[in-house]
Amino acid sequence: MQISDQTFDEWVRQYHRLLFGIAYWWTGSRADAEELTQEAFYQAYRSRSSLRDVATAKSWLVGILRNCYGQMNRKGHVRAEVPLDELTVEYEGPDPLAADILALHCALGRLDERHRLPLVLFYFQDLSYREISLALDLPLGTVMSRLSRAKCLLHDSLKLPDRAIGTAKVEGK
Amino acid sequence: MNCDLCKSEMYAWRYDNDVASFQPLFDHLDQCPECARLFGELTASDGRVETTFQSFPESPFLENRIIAGLAHQRAQAAAHRSARKWWVLLPVLACLLIVLFLAVEPWWQQERLNQQVAILLRTPPALQIVATDRRELLNWSASFVAGASTLPPELDRVQFRGAARLRFADHPAVFLKMKNEGRASLVVVDTPLTKDKGFHKIEENSGSASLWSDGKRSYLLLFNGNAQEMRAYMQKMGISA
Repeated sequence: MQISDQTFDEWVRQYHRLLFGIAYWWTGSRADAEELTQEAFYQAYRSRSSLRDVATAKSWLVGILRNCYGQMNRKGHVRAEVPLDELTVEYEGPDPLAADILALHCALGRLDERHRLPLVLFYFQDLSYREISLALDLPLGTVMSRLSRAKCLLHDSLKLPDRAIGTAKVEGK
Repeated sequence: MNCDLCKSEMYAWRYDNDVASFQPLFDHLDQCPECARLFGELTASDGRVETTFQSFPESPFLENRIIAGLAHQRAQAAAHRSARKWWVLLPVLACLLIVLFLAVEPWWQQERLNQQVAILLRTPPALQIVATDRRELLNWSASFVAGASTLPPELDRVQFRGAARLRFADHPAVFLKMKNEGRASLVVVDTPLTKDKGFHKIEENSGSASLWSDGKRSYLLLFNGNAQEMRAYMQKMGISA
């Protein structure tokens, strides 16, 4: 399929924030997320002829982001447990959301990748099971069972937010 | 449905799912207050998690960085395409050069011939044999220029007074000086330099010349005078095609 440069640039404008957000929750780091997002768009541009249907562009881009994340991990990149410096600067304050964000980072850090990746797509982008299955190249049933398990683990983890944040802050000091 | 299965279904449920397929879950929730409380907590927590996920740092320059990176990739690709285009054009250029060479080659040969004619007209070679006996001169010539020691009939009336060996257009040739006309001389070349047997007029500053061929040899009449004078001499001596 022929995709013009203009169309691709339009996709960058339309989806860069989405990909950055997903990458951010996957990696837990803004710098890694930026690097991952850029690399995903560059790889997507190089392989744009492989896209069969423009209607699935979003899932296709997320799939490429997933591959880039896999490549990053294979190169030895390790997800930061909780990037406290980054988080405390950006979210510290009276806003109760700040505590939730820290707790969510801690909880995601405790999940392994096969649960974290679909979970982020599920909550962050509200992707349907089918879209998640397409983006992660997994069977629908596997996506459903992993999500069910991931949600269970996440909610269990979030039941103790204060303790989790407290631990993270102590580790950061 | 028991409570364990219900809990499992709670985590699998999603608001955009087919409600009918989760009917057993809702039936159980209607009957079990504990599971209903848990489901309520879960739903509330889900909403909170969704809201939390939407709070992530902004990256204001990311879009521009990506667009700039893509522009760089495109420029590189364009440069590669351009280089590849030149490689594809190379055989075409080679063919053009061959065609050009084939077209220019006859003209270049003619120019080379004219130059040699001009040199012979300006500075004729020194005679290596001086004799007025036509047969003797032609026999001497035959040792250098292949073929019979005779000349074509149109040159029957011409008399010579000496000869010299030389190379003309990279071929062996014999220079014969006319006896009765000091301005005229004949060059017999051991190859046909013209495809047809007609006369080709060559005009130079230092004189005129006429070239013809009998299919095996070429004959070049050199005349230190203008074309009109040469034509008059040729008529007088009966030299015509």
